[in-house]
Formats: sequence, C-alpha cells, structure tokens
Amino acid sequence: MVEAANTDRKDDDNPLDAMRDRILDATLPNVLFDGWSRKALVLGAEMAGLQEGDVDLVFPRGARDAIAHWLARADREMSATLEAADLDSMKIRARIAFAVRTRLEQAAPHKEAVRRALGLLALPGNAALAGRALYRTVDAIWYACGDRSTDFNFYSKRGLLAAVYSSTLLYWLDDESEGHEATWAFLDRRIENVMQIPQIKARIGDLGRKLPNPLRFMRAARTARATAKSGS
Amino acid sequence: MSKASPKTAPSRTAADALPGDLSKDELVDRIIRVDHAGEFGAQRIYEGQLAVLGKRRSAKTIQHMKAQEEVHLAAFEEMIRRRRVRPTVLHPIWNIAGFALGAGTALLGEKAAMACTVAVEEVIDDHYRQQAEQLGDDEAELRGTIETFRAEEEEHRDIGKEHGGEQAVGYPVMRAAIRAGSRAAIWLSERF
Repeated sequence: MVEAANTDRKDDDNPLDAMRDRILDATLPNVLFDGWSRKALVLGAEMAGLQEGDVDLVFPRGARDAIAHWLARADREMSATLEAADLDSMKIRARIAFAVRTRLEQAAPHKEAVRRALGLLALPGNAALAGRALYRTVDAIWYACGDRSTDFNFYSKRGLLAAVYSSTLLYWLDDESEGHEATWAFLDRRIENVMQIPQIKARIGDLGRKLPNPLRFMRAARTARATAKSGS
Repeated sequence: MSKASPKTAPSRTAADALPGDLSKDELVDRIIRVDHAGEFGAQRIYEGQLAVLGKRRSAKTIQHMKAQEEVHLAAFEEMIRRRRVRPTVLHPIWNIAGFALGAGTALLGEKAAMACTVAVEEVIDDHYRQQAEQLGDDEAELRGTIETFRAEEEEHRDIGKEHGGEQAVGYPVMRAAIRAGSRAAIWLSERF
C-alpha cells in the first residue's frame, strides 16, 4: 500500500510489456478452463507464438504477476475512457457511478477470469497484492473524477470507494440480469449510503478544529490558583 | 535518507541506486510527501504559537514566518496534485501534534516558543540539504524549490536565535526532545 502509487508508472516504458500483453490476451479465454495457473499461461504463450521460457521471463511469479499486470492495464484502459468522457458536466456521485460502471463493463468479456482472479487474490498470501490492486483502482477512479485532496480526505475518499467498489464487484459477479441492470441499481444504493456519511460526520464534528484553546486553559488554571491562594 | 550521500549533486536522480535502493520515482515521491507533511506541521506549529502569543510583541514575527510556511505548503500541495504523489496518511496527527507543540512551547513563554522554532528549523535545514544533494539535474526544478525554502527556514532559525530562543529555560533538553520528535516525524512521513 505504501508505494502503491508508483507501480503503474514504472510499467509505462517497459519493453517487456508488449510480450506481457500478448501472453495475457491469449491466456484470458483459457482461464475459464485452466484457472489462473502457470499451465494456462504457458498454453497462452504458445498460442501467441511465444515459448514457455518467455512466461518465466515476464511473469516470474506466474499467475500472480499476470493478474497484477492485467489489473494495472485495466486501470489504464478505464482512465483513458474516463479522460475522454465528459465528466465535468456530471455531479461527483454520477462521475463515480460512471467510473465504476466503466471499469466493470470493460471487464465483462472476461467475467469468469475475474472470478478466478478474485479467488486467487483472496488467499492470505496474496493480501498485499490484492490491497495494492484495489488501491490502484480506486485511486485511478478518484483521480479521473477530479479529486485533488492533499489531506486525510484523500484516504477517506479512497476507503469509502474501496468499500463501494468491492461490494459492487461481488454483486456484479453473480448478476445475471439483462445488461447488469441490477448491479447498477446496487451501485447507486451503495453510493447513496456513502452520501449520508457527511451528515453523520457533521454531527460528530471535526476533531482537529475543536482543539482546546490553550489561552482559556491557562486563564482557568490561573483563576484556580488564585482562588486556592485566597482561600488558604 | 540519512545515509551518507554524495556531496555533489548527481547528474541524474538515483543514478547510482543499487538493487534495494529507492528508484527515482520512489525517492521523489518520498521527498514531496515528507516535505508537504513538514510544511503543514510547521504551519500548525506557528498557528499554535499565535493562539497563545497572538497579542504579544513577537506575534508579528511569527505571522511573518507563518506566511512563508503557507507559501511553502501551497507549493508542495501543487506538486502533490500535479505529480500524483500520495499525501501522508498521518496528516490528522501532524494537525494536532503541530498545534500542540506550538501552543505548548508558547505557554512556557516567548523564549521557549522561539527555542522550539530554532530546534525545528535546524532539523528542517539539515533535511532539505540532504534532499537537495540527492536530486540530480533532471529534478532541477524541485531541487531549486527546496533550496529556496531551505534558505527561508534558515532565516526562521536565525530569527528564533535573535529573539533569545537559546536563552529559554531548559533549552538543551527542549532542543534535544524537539529534534528527536521532528526526526521521527520525518521518518514516518516519508514512509506513510
């Protein structure tokens, strides 16, 4: 999570990325049958005209590297679509809904591969990878939606969206409705939940701004001392 | 970061990085994150001091220093946005800790407040100098900004000394404690 923001930047001018894309694209249809395994990646590489050794070269950690690459690429594709879209004319909640929808619609052709990938990411050993991938996705969405906060809001926004996004993703996986209409309705309800948070927060109040006034504290202390003195 | 660094600026940032060292992107990320956190903390310290010393003689001087910190903070905020650096997650803590340090030292008197300024700005001075040494010509703009700000932080330190910061009661103890705290804050803000 700590250096997560860097990961996609490093990929940009990597000469091996073209090879990664070729293997990945050939493998994705196989995942339905073979799961996210090294075997599936080798099969994919052979279909793409590459060799077994190339898989080990570009995905040294096998399926986990392939998934990480896939998710990073999906984030970039989403960002490109969002950049081209007219987000400025939308309200924030509409922008977020549109972004999540874009992300899922772009993943729809490989829904089974997403399901299998989630199964792998859910293993405890892959928790760091899963966290990084989730962070990158919500970070890309917020950036595209125009968030430029530099304080803790940066984290509360991403945290809330992570909850919305991951629950919507799970709903979407089992959604058989026409055009995923049920998922988009679910997404709207989750965003509606989040919109209620500022109201609750306003009631609790901003802790940082309600620091005790040190002068008043001193005055109170002095008065107390004076009273104690005159009393004795 | 506090490890031995070359005395002359390398032509490229992180050009001599070994495996396991920070890459250029990671290094610049850390620098912008920690400097943003630091300037925010400094602003909060001066706000804390002003909350106590608002009507004293030194208020004007503190106002002047605070105004400069605000310019620094705005510059790093702009960099965070433009370069997509993750801000520090400890922001709310620096919000409270900075204000408490400023108000706490100011409650001990004007000289103690100035002693706090001297101690903090000394650490910042070292810290900015180390950063500037790590940045190469490919980051000349960032390096230039840091150099400019460092000169102003140095000025704050001297203002603190002129106003008798070093004559504060228990100055050596306070200085050591604040220096250790500032260094810890830097270490944390670089990483988190």
